[in-house]
Amino acid sequence: MANNTVTLTALFQEDVRAAQAVRDITSPSWRVERVCGPVPSEAIHQALRGKKTPVGWFTLIGGLLGLVTGYGFASFTSLRWELIVSGKPVVALVPFLIVGFELAVLFAVLGTVIGLILHTRLPAYGDEEDNPVECTADRFGLVVQCPAAELGELQAFLEERGAWVRRQ
Amino acid sequence: MGATAMTGTEANGKSKRFAGVGRLAWGMVLLGLAGFVAALLLGEPQIAWRAYLVNFLLFSAIAQGGLAVSAMASTVHVYRSSFPQLAEAFSAFFPVSLLLFLGLIPGAEYIFPWLGQDFAGGKDLWLSLPFLFTRDVVAFVLLYALGLMYLYYSLWLRVGQSAPQTGLRTWLAGIWSRRSPNPETYANRRFVLGILYLIAFAAVLSLVGYDLVMAAEPHWYSTLFGAYTFIKAVFVGIGALIILAAALHINRSVRMEIASWEYIDAGKLLLAFCLLWADFFYCQLVVIWYGNIPEETAYVITRTVQAPWNVMAGTVFVLGFVVPFLVLLNRRVKTLPAMMTGLCCAIVAGMWLEHYLLLAPALGGAESTVLPLSWADPVISLAFLGIMIRVVLGYLNQFPETLEPVAGSRLHGAGGN
Repeated sequence: MANNTVTLTALFQEDVRAAQAVRDITSPSWRVERVCGPVPSEAIHQALRGKKTPVGWFTLIGGLLGLVTGYGFASFTSLRWELIVSGKPVVALVPFLIVGFELAVLFAVLGTVIGLILHTRLPAYGDEEDNPVECTADRFGLVVQCPAAELGELQAFLEERGAWVRRQ
Repeated sequence: MGATAMTGTEANGKSKRFAGVGRLAWGMVLLGLAGFVAALLLGEPQIAWRAYLVNFLLFSAIAQGGLAVSAMASTVHVYRSSFPQLAEAFSAFFPVSLLLFLGLIPGAEYIFPWLGQDFAGGKDLWLSLPFLFTRDVVAFVLLYALGLMYLYYSLWLRVGQSAPQTGLRTWLAGIWSRRSPNPETYANRRFVLGILYLIAFAAVLSLVGYDLVMAAEPHWYSTLFGAYTFIKAVFVGIGALIILAAALHINRSVRMEIASWEYIDAGKLLLAFCLLWADFFYCQLVVIWYGNIPEETAYVITRTVQAPWNVMAGTVFVLGFVVPFLVLLNRRVKTLPAMMTGLCCAIVAGMWLEHYLLLAPALGGAESTVLPLSWADPVISLAFLGIMIRVVLGYLNQFPETLEPVAGSRLHGAGGN
């Protein structure tokens, strides 16, 4: 119950140590509330067994859309005028690849940004978590809850794994 | 000196692991050699020498590009992957490549169609057989000397002295014991030689691309052809490196430890050079297409539009770009050694076809209505493949530490991205 639990914040210098600590927590009474850090970490993501992010699909769809749009845009504008340049076809696939490629990159980037915003449910007004300030700098933080009676054991467990621990 | 100590028994045991594959490789060499001689005796010298040239270019590119990967990685001081040290195994092909290049001399009339032609504007000075062979031999010697010097320092930093001193190791151990090397000095020298090798790699492969491939059509030129050649070498070198790593990882008697992140990094590098190779091809294509100058377009039209070469061009495009691009977008695929082996084999096959496509229309294939692929092409290719396998295995037998994980490397998903 909430009254009998305490929350510890463990700060690690390396993401791999934080990930290892997450993997080593097997006690059912210890609960990892969240893990935070200044940069994304594949090691921590794997340790938390997180689902694969769907943002990549936004990137792929954006890129494909951009490629088609680029070709379509260049073809449409060429067909409006039907000017024959240097004996080349009006709709020329070889040079239109440049337009298609550039728009593919642009739309892929835009798709990624849109995917990120949607997936992280931004803007998140009034939903701010109290993350350790060090996690915005050079530390990976692990916020763990445990029963008050096991505080010492959890603290020793985390310090053994290279963390600097403080009580929240 | 960073080194993993190995007992004599361990090293001897490890060297016997490759005995079967070594015998198979020798068989391939003999079969290929027999095929080459048979083609000459059966009145098909054009086919035999064309296959020789295509395979010489491809396998030399694999060796040169492979060591370039190691040299590139050596500029990143904290990159702890097994791939760069494994890439150094391809440098064992360097002396063979030099000999094979000299072996082109007897077949000059079949692989240099410009022989006997008159050129204006100084081109006859450039396209003269003695000058071509002299400058290219000097270039290869320079490139391979820099590569082997880089390897010398790299080996000292990795190889232990407790393994049995046989063959090359005895000679190296003798030199090292006389010199009392300093680790920091040798690491700096390796760093500098790595950079010099990369500069020479770009210059020499550009020269080789111009002399041996582009000059087959002596009236056509593309200024980007040299860069296209060395980018292709890195691309195919990375592909061959992944095949080698995966084979050693999967092989039950070797079981080389390679972490997922190392495969992912190699896969990303492969994707990057796949895009770069395709991009360099497109850069040449779009300029020629837009300029529409007959002197330039004839080369491209023959190889991409006209039958029978358009089919091969489409195949090269699919094997070299479409399939690798689509497959390598997926992260998980990069961690599957068997899948990556299949993909990289397709890439190497695509690059073989690409060399063939660039050369064959100029070397007796211009009037063909069907693709002039013959039985001699795969048979002679076997010889070169057998030689490559044999020399790489020889290197791994001499330096079995190459198969050990890098000291301090982060294995088992504990690090990397």
